[in-house]
Amino acid sequence: MSIINYARKEIQFKIVYYGAALCGKTTNLAYIHSRIDAGHRGDLVSLATAADRTLFFDFLPVNAVVIKGFNTKFQLYTVPGQVIYNATRQLVLRSVDGVVFVVDSQWDKMEENVESFHNLRENLAKQNMNLDEIPYVVQYNKRDLDNIAPVNYLDFLFNNEKKRVQSFDAVSSTGQNVFATLNAVSQLLLHKFSKDNNPAESTPAAPATA
Amino acid sequence: MESIPALTIDDVANIDAVLQKYLEKSEADLVVIVDKGGNVLSQFGDLEVLDVTIIAALAAGSFAATKELARRIGEVEFNALYHQGNGSHIFMNSVDEDTIMITVFGCDTTVGLVRHYSNDTAARLSEILATLRSREQVAFHFGADDVGTSLFEDRK
Repeated sequence: MSIINYARKEIQFKIVYYGAALCGKTTNLAYIHSRIDAGHRGDLVSLATAADRTLFFDFLPVNAVVIKGFNTKFQLYTVPGQVIYNATRQLVLRSVDGVVFVVDSQWDKMEENVESFHNLRENLAKQNMNLDEIPYVVQYNKRDLDNIAPVNYLDFLFNNEKKRVQSFDAVSSTGQNVFATLNAVSQLLLHKFSKDNNPAESTPAAPATA
Repeated sequence: MESIPALTIDDVANIDAVLQKYLEKSEADLVVIVDKGGNVLSQFGDLEVLDVTIIAALAAGSFAATKELARRIGEVEFNALYHQGNGSHIFMNSVDEDTIMITVFGCDTTVGLVRHYSNDTAARLSEILATLRSREQVAFHFGADDVGTSLFEDRK
């Protein structure tokens, strides 16, 4: 849950990268960490096994724009994708402000992607949250591989609600659309934050440019 | 449990006063108040040497991870956790259902002293936080122009 601190003039937000095992969530954070000036980010903390599988979570604190004199601080988390770590995923989702759902575009990963997407909805429901009410975007990752599903099929599976969300074709290992994804979800949650903190406002949040 | 959407200057001053007194009495180095989602609510003490944001995220994770351990022995959760190092130590205790207090201390004090004073401090903080949660939200509004189109730049 976002927190605004008037004494320290800062607003904190939490964004979670969610998705199946080995879909590229950690790679997103590693790329962001490598490309943001050190003065605007903290260390990338990765609690991983010897085989580089995320055991607990990855965490990267980053600072964005100053809004009306307030520093905006974003805490980026990944969840462990492996099915057995569901309790950890529920923990990481606690107080979440925005979600990036990362899809592994390869055909043979589709079942795991779908299972993870359902799992995301279930885990949010356990916290009385609904994905349709949270700022979220979808990232179709690994678009550089050969055995990938077409985007319209991925849209059918993961972006087929009445309200379509922004989606990004990405290659997180090279950084393609990694920042576009992060900027989109950050924009969405800032607009929601502004709207929630000003009940008088009735106009819908302006979507970010995809 | 309601979240705490806003901390005013007065709120922070009230909390800091409690934390300052706690550090003086316990002779600890740093105290950080975090919610169980890992967000920092307040901090006081020697902040230069530590990345408080990361400590908060890891501590919240650590606290939650031991919850299952507590259940196995018939507890709802552990009220306090102690991590002992060679020269620096961490003591964590519950403030309320949604908040944790993390104390970092060195050789100038003992875990017993920290634990003793943390109990009163947690009770005081719990009262303050309960008041904040029951209060009306403070409005904070900004428009699209304040945000711009690119919050994060890829430094290529």
